[in-house]
Amino acid sequence: MALSSLLLLQLFFKRRQTIVKKGTVVEPSGSTKQLIFFFGTMVLVTLFFNRLGFPLSSFLLMLTLLRILGVKRWTFNLPLSFMTAIVCYFLFVQWLKIPLPKGWVGL
Amino acid sequence: MFESLQHLINGFGIATTIHNLLYCLIGAIVGTLIGVLPGIGPIAGIALLIPATFGLNPTSAIIMLAGIYYGAMYGGSTTSILLNVPGETASVITCIDGYQMAQKGRAGPALAICAIGSFIAGTIGIFGLVFLAPPLAEAALAFGPPEYFSLMVFGFIVLSNVTGTSLTKSLMMAVIGLIIGTIGLDPVTGDARFTFGSISLLGGIEFVAVAIGLFGIGEVLVNVDQPSEMLEQHVFVPRLRELYPTLQDLKKSIGPILRGTGIGFGVGLVPGPAPVIATYASYMTERRISKHPEEFGKGAIEGVAGPESANNAACQSAFIPLFVLGIPFAPPTAILLGALLIHGVSPGPMLIGQHPELFWGVIASMYIGNFILLILNLPFVPLFANILRIPKKILLPLVILFCITGMYTVNNSIFDIWMMLLFGGLGFLMRKWAYEGAPLLLALVLGPKLEVAFRQSLMISHGDFGVFVNRPISMVFLLATAIFLVIPLIRMVLKKQRKEVS
Repeated sequence: MALSSLLLLQLFFKRRQTIVKKGTVVEPSGSTKQLIFFFGTMVLVTLFFNRLGFPLSSFLLMLTLLRILGVKRWTFNLPLSFMTAIVCYFLFVQWLKIPLPKGWVGL
Repeated sequence: MFESLQHLINGFGIATTIHNLLYCLIGAIVGTLIGVLPGIGPIAGIALLIPATFGLNPTSAIIMLAGIYYGAMYGGSTTSILLNVPGETASVITCIDGYQMAQKGRAGPALAICAIGSFIAGTIGIFGLVFLAPPLAEAALAFGPPEYFSLMVFGFIVLSNVTGTSLTKSLMMAVIGLIIGTIGLDPVTGDARFTFGSISLLGGIEFVAVAIGLFGIGEVLVNVDQPSEMLEQHVFVPRLRELYPTLQDLKKSIGPILRGTGIGFGVGLVPGPAPVIATYASYMTERRISKHPEEFGKGAIEGVAGPESANNAACQSAFIPLFVLGIPFAPPTAILLGALLIHGVSPGPMLIGQHPELFWGVIASMYIGNFILLILNLPFVPLFANILRIPKKILLPLVILFCITGMYTVNNSIFDIWMMLLFGGLGFLMRKWAYEGAPLLLALVLGPKLEVAFRQSLMISHGDFGVFVNRPISMVFLLATAIFLVIPLIRMVLKKQRKEVS
């Protein structure tokens, strides 16, 4: 719930900004390419899941997937991925005590 | 009957502990969210949350997971009405009249009627469960391995018949599920089968991986494959004071709600994706008996009230075969069966006697859960509708992250994530070419049970296959199966003849 409300807030501000630009840019998506990249990222993250550790993998996964789906602005993309990784870390590792891989970050 | 009531009161004692109330609330909220969010349905949702229940006792775990199932039925209608996008398959029908009502500015009453109808249907459905389950369980005690075998075969065939567009495709999926189910240790002799020397495969293919893969990852991939303009849509967000339906709305709806409940409850007892079929059946009935059939499709409130009640009632009665026979007839209850087994409870006719606290506790929690959902859905509908504003390009990566994390948690194994990705890719291709995942998943969960029942029957009869037709109950099921297999054939032949004549 906390995460969704955070997203909502961010989105609210984002909407404000994009409304002005709307109507000018409608980019056609190369959906097959997008699909391959999307699936490829999932495979790569799984491949290095143990070595990278959960917090870092979740951050990289979010960052890459968001970018592939067209969230290109780093000022939005980076903090969102970072927040997601932090929230997931505290939710799963600290609160629910799930033994997720630590990796070389050691968290 | 009085005994049942006595047990039910004890069940309420269990369900109203702070601990269980909390899990019921979590289940209801998560269920509503899953129902609201397109791209993740109750099957993947329940599978994803199984690991979160590992630390709980079985009763609390099932209270929460069941809450997700019926909560999703409530939530699914929200997207249908506001967006014309069904949150899950059981609310496809609600789109027809629900979205029309929203376009006429009557989204509020439509949502309110959904919640009220679901509540009434859910509550009546649970009553049915309370009074039908114990006598059915007693009857099911007469079932031996041959009866179970025939019943499962019957279930497979009926499910394959009613899901998807093609019986052949559905049967293919069921057979693939059965084949995958044989991987791992032989349930009777303990030999390793089809493991190719891999230790990871000894335990068989994790059904949670298949469920999340087919229904979670597969669905996300289908969404990624869509052009991005599809991901942005207009959302109606109703204001609170517009929510209340008029007296006339209520008067019009009460008939459809009660009929929908009856239809849903009956459909839930037979194999198949009950909530989906129940909504179709209810919609057709309402349109047929309506004095103004021309209003249907243009925003008739009856077309919302009936199907929404039907899917909730079906959802409750689907628990009867699960609890009484230990045989789930639809994928969500199949996942619940898996969850029960993980917690060391094996459902069947003995369940009510052996684990009364679980059976009655869960049933009592359904009453409470329905009440929570009514409260949750009426005033908070605008809030849930706002969640729909999270664009899919943010939602989809989040779903993937939860899938991967959730999958790892089940066995702390990377191998399971690989399996999930494999089935995710498979699920995407299946969706593209119109193959249904439900028969595969059900066959995977039931396959080992089917095999054990088959082999035990043959052991009893010393290898004589007559055991399946000599016992009356078993023969009835097999006959029914044969009829279900022959009907499509006859229909095909008749169609061909008609074509030749014309």
